[in-house]
Amino acid sequence: MATIEERVLDSKNRHMEFVATGRLVTARPREATGETEDRGSKIEDRAELCAPEILAIDEVAGQVIDGIDSKAILSRMADIGPEARLFLHRPQGKVLRAEVYEDPRICPEINRGAVIENLKEKPKDVSGWRTHDFIIDTKGCLGDECGRCSVMCPENAIHLMGKGKGSFHEIDPLACKGCYICWVECYRTAADCILVDGKTFDAAMRAKHFGE
Amino acid sequence: MATVLSGNSAAAWGFRLSRVQCYPYYPITPSTACSEQIARWVSDGALETVTINAESEHSAASQIIAAGKSVRAGTATSSKGLLYMIEVMENASGGSIPCGFFIGNRATGAPINIWADNSDAYAMRDSGAIQIFTADAQEALDGVIQGYRIAEDLRVRIPFAVNLRGFTGTHAYEGVEIPKPEDVDRFLPGYISTMPLFAPAKPVTYGAMLSALPYRRHKRNQMAALKNAVEVTQEVGREFGERFGRSYGLFDWIGDQKAKLVVALLGESAGAGEVVVRHLQGKQGLPGVALLKIRLFSPFPASEISQALAAAGTKAVVVLDEGLNHGGVFPPLAQRIATAVQLHLGSHAPKVASVIGGLGGSEVRQEHFQLMFNLADNIAEGKPLRAEPYWLDIDEDPIFVENEQQVNPKLWKKWGEVWKQQKRKEKYFSALPQETDEVRIYSRAGQGAITSAVGFTGAGILTGSRLLTVPAFGSERRGAIITTDTLVHGGGGQKIRSFNRTWDVMVLYDDTILYSPEHQALDGLKESGTLLINSSRLTVKKLREQLGAGKANVRIFTVPAAEIAERLGLKHINMAMLGALHRVYEKIPLEKALPYYERHVPKPRELSLEAIRLGYAECTDQGAKKRVKEVRLPVTAEFLAWRPEDHSQIAWPSETEEIRAG
Repeated sequence: MATIEERVLDSKNRHMEFVATGRLVTARPREATGETEDRGSKIEDRAELCAPEILAIDEVAGQVIDGIDSKAILSRMADIGPEARLFLHRPQGKVLRAEVYEDPRICPEINRGAVIENLKEKPKDVSGWRTHDFIIDTKGCLGDECGRCSVMCPENAIHLMGKGKGSFHEIDPLACKGCYICWVECYRTAADCILVDGKTFDAAMRAKHFGE
Repeated sequence: MATVLSGNSAAAWGFRLSRVQCYPYYPITPSTACSEQIARWVSDGALETVTINAESEHSAASQIIAAGKSVRAGTATSSKGLLYMIEVMENASGGSIPCGFFIGNRATGAPINIWADNSDAYAMRDSGAIQIFTADAQEALDGVIQGYRIAEDLRVRIPFAVNLRGFTGTHAYEGVEIPKPEDVDRFLPGYISTMPLFAPAKPVTYGAMLSALPYRRHKRNQMAALKNAVEVTQEVGREFGERFGRSYGLFDWIGDQKAKLVVALLGESAGAGEVVVRHLQGKQGLPGVALLKIRLFSPFPASEISQALAAAGTKAVVVLDEGLNHGGVFPPLAQRIATAVQLHLGSHAPKVASVIGGLGGSEVRQEHFQLMFNLADNIAEGKPLRAEPYWLDIDEDPIFVENEQQVNPKLWKKWGEVWKQQKRKEKYFSALPQETDEVRIYSRAGQGAITSAVGFTGAGILTGSRLLTVPAFGSERRGAIITTDTLVHGGGGQKIRSFNRTWDVMVLYDDTILYSPEHQALDGLKESGTLLINSSRLTVKKLREQLGAGKANVRIFTVPAAEIAERLGLKHINMAMLGALHRVYEKIPLEKALPYYERHVPKPRELSLEAIRLGYAECTDQGAKKRVKEVRLPVTAEFLAWRPEDHSQIAWPSETEEIRAG
């Protein structure tokens, strides 16, 4: 019997490669190459993925910035006044652009473009939204074997505590709005896991949510 | 050296030299060619840009906004396409994303109309972008480069739109200086987003929901940043002038420095106005006149324009709007100027009258400017004026009434008293000087008239003249009769962009056009003009009969272009016609033009050049020697399979080649 030649198809998929054998196409994991790992480690170093800094005059004065003429920049900023800003783009510490400009904003606490910096956002106390208290019973929780509730929580209010045996999930009482999603999604049907107002199981409440 | 480019190609060059990194587009007449040019460069490898064939303008605008959060992005659109983009446009301006739009201005239906006016640009005026109006291909190219510089200035960071009038701007071929890429790189450094969308160290959220307090404070900031664009546009225009020799400002003041009468307008129609201003300027018994050609429409430079008018001591401003403000008191430009002078000059403000014209491809001609200066003179004298816009070229609602019967009776009842006092003054209507030679080609769509006229333009520019070719566009199919107009005037001096529509040379690519009942092809031919016909059968006697009385001095030439094309095995007659055109229009001699043709004629080059030489040699003023058998080019399968795409590849000029050679 004649052997059918195998042909690797041209594909951009980084994880799988596709092999054609006659009319049959099969997928197999791509052999790990150094290239993908390199790309992964380099991603944060790419200039366009490095956010520039915007500094006020006292921030410029308070640090040593290599690669710029700080004295000239500070005097230009002083000429402009308190609205002066230094736009500094220095991926990996190397200054690619340093530009002094006058901040156009009238209301300086709002970012240009109303863009929100996610890491600067402080969590808000939304406990007042809740009409029931939700608590995970550490005895019933499967810990890191499960984690479904923390994935499903729309408020990111459920966190895994510990590791391996003895680990459990905990609900942040300030972030929980009491939406019942964890309670509905729980693999253990919240039988002895999620306590609502101290109760582990309530047939009436389940009927309301599941239509049972 | 100048390269022949259409307005669309020039805008594409603007994007190319700005090193635009992402270009999503959805093509729409009349700005399609800009996107096509970019796509062709990308496929040729001449330009490293991500182009995206969007499924609608709405998607294209959404994509440009998404891309603009991290990289330099641009697109081109027109008319309804722009209207469809407006929904997302405010996300670009509100999100402070400095992306670029090139807009070939076109009317917005209904009724459907593909030709030019400013309706689309006026519709986007409240979406918070910077709006720059340009008057020719060169300004469009420079405008796109400057647009990125203005939009990306840290004091501004707002999207921009460069506007060019559809067809007479976007499809007009003229000589354009393409700046050197390295010079542009020095003028326009790479774009660095202040808030990159994908910076892992600083994750951000664009387009979050804000409640009233932060929302209104954000809008206050946005307005302040947009207003900064006035100052930045001036700075950038000045620096552009220092580097490239072409300075730009907020507006051009063309004419007397102490003009009492001013006509204000946006964009390309200024070409006809410049001719009239030069003619009327400094004339005995006339007050000073000037044209205020506004470049920056949004943010409106209210204070600067008011100061300019006050410094000149202007008494009356007539504002021409090529678009409407439905239900408004004045159309957009007139409204902006009227409020600006009222706020900044108070009781010293000049009187402002509004005129609506140039709608849906209507030409704003030289005599319209004569009318508008006459109107300005009347209102400067204190004659009453209408508290609503005047209209150009509406017989039932004229600016000056010569015959009361023609006027709509309802309007006469309302404005009769004003009309009676508004008088036409003959001193404004003296004959304009004819500074240009004008060539009109009548051909059938598909004969290659535009290709040959563009080649003629390139050769003419090489010999030191200024040329402009404006093909007519419409809903014609292949084989329909179309016109292609070329304007020639001596080198140096003024830039003239306005046709006076009396033809020095009339070229007919097909003798059957003479007998088309719909086209009076010989109308408008000057008495001392020249007629050139592709014909192997018509005699001079017969042609003289056709011309009729009063055209006895017209020189008549015939050239058997179809025979020449057949002999050489060419599919088009246009090269032979091009050679013949050089024979009848001696101001651009063939020997001077040949070096240009040797580099640029469509392939096959040798045959095309031979056709030019034969056309030149066989062009005769004796008429066809004897009646010969009618020559028809064979209709081959290849001929029928021909599609415009094929034509574009041999289209003229080949910009990619131009830059490689340079």
